[in-house]
Amino acid sequence: MTAAAVLLALLCQLFLVTGQLTLKRGMNATRLLPPPKARVIGSLAGGVGLLAVWFFLWLGLLRDWELSRLFPFEGLNPALVVLGAGLLLKERVSPIGWIGIAMISLGVALVSGS
Amino acid sequence: MSTATDASDRPALSVRWFLDPYFQLACGALLVTASELLLKRGATSGAPVPASIAWLGVGALSSVWTWLGILTYLLSFASWLYVLRHLLLSLAFGLINVVHVLVPLGAWALLGETISARRWVGIAFVLCGTVLVARTAARAEGEP
Repeated sequence: MTAAAVLLALLCQLFLVTGQLTLKRGMNATRLLPPPKARVIGSLAGGVGLLAVWFFLWLGLLRDWELSRLFPFEGLNPALVVLGAGLLLKERVSPIGWIGIAMISLGVALVSGS
Repeated sequence: MSTATDASDRPALSVRWFLDPYFQLACGALLVTASELLLKRGATSGAPVPASIAWLGVGALSSVWTWLGILTYLLSFASWLYVLRHLLLSLAFGLINVVHVLVPLGAWALLGETISARRWVGIAFVLCGTVLVARTAARAEGEP
């Protein structure tokens, strides 16, 4: 892959990670009593917007590269999402969970390097 | 939000399996896999568009495969929102990574893409990692 394609693939994943964190923020808010409507709708709309940017960048990348070569870039996501969930959503991950996340990321790196 | 699932207001037994967030997670994983394969097919069979916007992949929108891919993606999104309501993001996102196994296998079986030995090893790592994350999920389920 070219350097530009790699950078675009990385940028693409950032949109997906922030989109997922925003969606989860919105769905967490639905469990509050009473649910804060502005926060639920705002977060869900924001999450969908971020994922929409991800979607079109991803479609463009799919046009030019094999799926099995591109998909591994999503392997950065587990670590980024868990990190973001810990920092922004106050979720905690057990040591075994982190080992699992690390193995997923390593596996993805192996697939992408081949 | 210290426990993984919501133990309150459990639905009736007949629909409980369908509303189980782990069942919905599995459905979502299969739908995402179908979506990725359909989008790949659509992306390579779309109409040519001006180079200035081609990098956005909009040419793929002229293919019915792309729209089928979008439909399955939307369905997976609905189940994902349901999963997010009930499971921690760090748990759900770890588990949904099983698509990193399903998508390359699908690309190999259905799209004729090749998978090298190294790539198979990577897929095995992803699978093992997902199992470990699932174990932490089982542990969280077991908590009072």
